[in-house]
Amino acid sequence: MTPRDEGPADNTSPRPLVEFESVGRTFDSDPPVHALVDVDLRIHRAEHVAVTGPSGSGKSTLLGLLGLLDRPTSGEYRFGGVATTRLAERDRAALRAGSFGFVFQAFHLLPYRTIEENVMLAEVYRPKGGTAPPRRTRRARAEEALERVGLGHRRGFRPDRLSGGERQRVAIARALLGDPALLLCDEPTGNLDGENTAVVLDLLDELHGQGLTLLVITHDEAVASRAVRRIRIADGRVLAEAGV
Amino acid sequence: MTPEGRTLRLPRRGGTRIGRADLLDESLAAVLARPWRAALTTLGTVLGIATLVVTIGIAATAGNRIVGRFDQLTATAVTVVAAGTGAPQAPGEGPLIGWDAAERLARLNGTVAAVALAEAAPGTAPSVRANDIKDPSTVSARTLGVVAATVDLPAAAHGRVVAGRFFDVGNVARHDRVAVLGEEAARMLGIVRLEDSPAVFLGDEAFTVIGIVGDFRREQALAAAVIVPPTTAADRLGLTEVGRVVVDTELGAAGLVAAQAPTALNPGRTTEMRVIAPPDLQRARGAVEDDVNGMFLVLGLLCLVVGAVGIANVTLVGVMQRIGEIGLRRALGASRRHIAQQFLVESAVLGLIGGAIGAAVGVVTVVGVCVARDWTPVLDLTLVVAAPGAGVLVGLLAGAYPAWRAARLEPLEALRAT
Repeated sequence: MTPRDEGPADNTSPRPLVEFESVGRTFDSDPPVHALVDVDLRIHRAEHVAVTGPSGSGKSTLLGLLGLLDRPTSGEYRFGGVATTRLAERDRAALRAGSFGFVFQAFHLLPYRTIEENVMLAEVYRPKGGTAPPRRTRRARAEEALERVGLGHRRGFRPDRLSGGERQRVAIARALLGDPALLLCDEPTGNLDGENTAVVLDLLDELHGQGLTLLVITHDEAVASRAVRRIRIADGRVLAEAGV
Repeated sequence: MTPEGRTLRLPRRGGTRIGRADLLDESLAAVLARPWRAALTTLGTVLGIATLVVTIGIAATAGNRIVGRFDQLTATAVTVVAAGTGAPQAPGEGPLIGWDAAERLARLNGTVAAVALAEAAPGTAPSVRANDIKDPSTVSARTLGVVAATVDLPAAAHGRVVAGRFFDVGNVARHDRVAVLGEEAARMLGIVRLEDSPAVFLGDEAFTVIGIVGDFRREQALAAAVIVPPTTAADRLGLTEVGRVVVDTELGAAGLVAAQAPTALNPGRTTEMRVIAPPDLQRARGAVEDDVNGMFLVLGLLCLVVGAVGIANVTLVGVMQRIGEIGLRRALGASRRHIAQQFLVESAVLGLIGGAIGAAVGVVTVVGVCVARDWTPVLDLTLVVAAPGAGVLVGLLAGAYPAWRAARLEPLEALRAT
């Protein structure tokens, strides 16, 4: 059994934001691959968590499950108290659009759109029935988000004219536009040099300081050391935790 | 913001939505991001739609042209020939066809103009000379047709008065010794100017030439004839019996006029008249158009299939190149349906552009061919308007498979693909 994650003692929130209960993910291949086995995990609001581990350890599978991009094959994942495992795909999409921000190693910026348009993309798919912010002020909000990551001066640029660090900051601005409950970062500095890495990590720290809940997946110790809490996984199991 | 202050959005039943404007924006941006590829992609549809518009347009134009020729010259001509001439006339009996034939036929529905003609029998026609000088060194006398006709001859025979005027009812009533020459006859007699009132001699009778008529589209033999009023002809040339009546009818009325004309001319002796009416061309025309259209339609549709395959191919390549984008959109909340919609709209936009350009190219080509061949272009407006619609349909059909492939991608795998 993996060690139980009790969460930081000083967190007084009655309910964690993320609750994994014996979550497993097995891929139907021959032989079956047990990417994650019996993972118990709790993340409270405003935490900054780093997940580390060697490649193939199940980090990315964990991120996919956390972000509702994938479904566990066993166990239950509750997000904000809502059991998500058996939710209909469309409801999971609504939860994804409304509650998560994603930052990927490959940035995933559309090369043919300006950086504002890339940021605005975050508001294109909105949960039904919600009070969506008006479309005509979307550009203004995107520009605001770009200011927040320090890229106000790059307005109108296409991603291919930006440095790697700037591109990742655009991706972060896009993730922030939906005002997410949880920001999921998959190797956010994997494609960046040292200088750009520092800028991006400083930005993430700053956002955490503003109250954002952050989960960063990385194999880089320097990145993990910025987190308040570190979770190490290997072979699909949570091995150890190092909190502050 | 404090952790407690952040409100969590709970999942709402019903999934996510994308506004229509956003869907169109996203699709247009993706299409216009690669304008050259879009242009090349639409090429097949452009060619297909253009071929369709051109072939149908040319078919309609050519069909109309064939029909037009029949209509103008043949389909509106009815000729009533007095077959009984030569038989001795019973005493007290009037002529088979009187000189009032034009007035009688004018009362029939569908008659535009009618003319009664009397021709001198071959061999009995008087020689025609332009002057009275007997010069043995030149052949001044000509044997030309001499025709007595009523006043509506230019209208009924589709002739044109090229100089002077045709004789009128007054000339006829006064038994005036006037003549109108056919263009060819005037040339042979050397008469060009009418200002000095030239005369022609028919046998020994002098006639004043008051007009020249040419460009006959019916009864072309009249171009080489001397035409005189019936009253004068009866007095001086012995031309009394109406040989035939030529009727110009409205389009489609020829059959009716042909059936009624003998009765109108002489109800008691209809059997002695022979009616020459145009054949019913309606059926022939339909057959010609069906053949032409059927063949061209198949050709155009074949081109459209090629265009559709082109769009499908490029859209599929686009899907494969944009797997990362598809994953990102899914992460941002797009459902499978939204992904499929986007690619369908993109291919529909390509089809629409292709259809619109194709329709324009087709119309320009049809008009160009018609200008070159001196035809009247016949363009079915419905076709021109429907062409971009057909392009959209082609795009949607072509985009169906790529859209399905894109929607089927698992978001996590799509995000890792690049």
